Amino acid sequence: MTMRYFEDFKVGDTEEFGNYKTSQEDIIEFATEFDPQPFHIDPDAAKEHFFGGIIASGWHTGSMLMRMIVDNQVLASSSMGSPGIDELRWIQPVRPSEILNAQSEVLSSTPHKYKDDRGFVKFKHTILNQNREIKMTMISTILFGKRPAAEVSQ
Amino acid sequence: MSTRYFEDIKIGDAIEYGSKTLTKDEIIAFAKKYDPQPFHIDEEAAKETIYGGIIASGWHTAAVTMRMMVDNMIDTKASLGSPGINNLRWHKPVFPGDTLRVRSEITDKKRSKSRPTMGTTFGKLEVFNQHDEVVMSFDSIGMMLARNTED
Repeated sequence: MTMRYFEDFKVGDTEEFGNYKTSQEDIIEFATEFDPQPFHIDPDAAKEHFFGGIIASGWHTGSMLMRMIVDNQVLASSSMGSPGIDELRWIQPVRPSEILNAQSEVLSSTPHKYKDDRGFVKFKHTILNQNREIKMTMISTILFGKRPAAEVSQ
Repeated sequence: MSTRYFEDIKIGDAIEYGSKTLTKDEIIAFAKKYDPQPFHIDEEAAKETIYGGIIASGWHTAAVTMRMMVDNMIDTKASLGSPGINNLRWHKPVFPGDTLRVRSEITDKKRSKSRPTMGTTFGKLEVFNQHDEVVMSFDSIGMMLARNTED
């Protein structure tokens, strides 16, 4: 994958990636450690619940999105990390045996005020399943290094 | 513990709870699955970064925070889940051996107009390390069952 820098993320740019498969085993494993509520870890109890079956912890869904973002936008980039998330919305629960994709849209691009070599890119990421149902949305910021001068002149 | 319903939550209520120490093995295991960036999973690569060593994925910090909330604050009888969170900030890195705790304060509450048997609570949640530094904070939103249909 080509290395991407701050300049490569332009307002309005969209892309889609992921193909992330969920499983009951993963959902239960995550929730047993981090979110042991009955509708995340107990298939029988979950049947009686409003959702009618096991659903993933919202933080698990967020972590799955992170994996998709890391694999497709962060690793082959000059990312310097993220200051945080402006807004996270759990729209519909994620269930076992779904295939998730992430849609990415660049909302804004702002050079760092004091450090000339970097800038903030604000994204909206939307998780969709195989039926194009929206599961989660997230507005967050990633700090990217600018393209080094040596590469600009090439 | 008796079930705490919407009416039992008061604006200004603040509690501190939890004590979770993250080990290097836990940090690496989480990050290999969900956030495989070099400074989360590779000790040698992490030495070259500004952090000087492995740090936890921000999502790992959020996940262990959720565990402390479930163990200490969320009443599964009255909780109806959450539509989301706002303004999450990772203020400082979390290193192996750091011990985290949570401070949670209720900032507002609103009974549902369309479904008065439930209400929404709004909170400010902060996660501290053992040096009393805030490592993460966010604004929480919780939906809860009410005991009655009016205050």
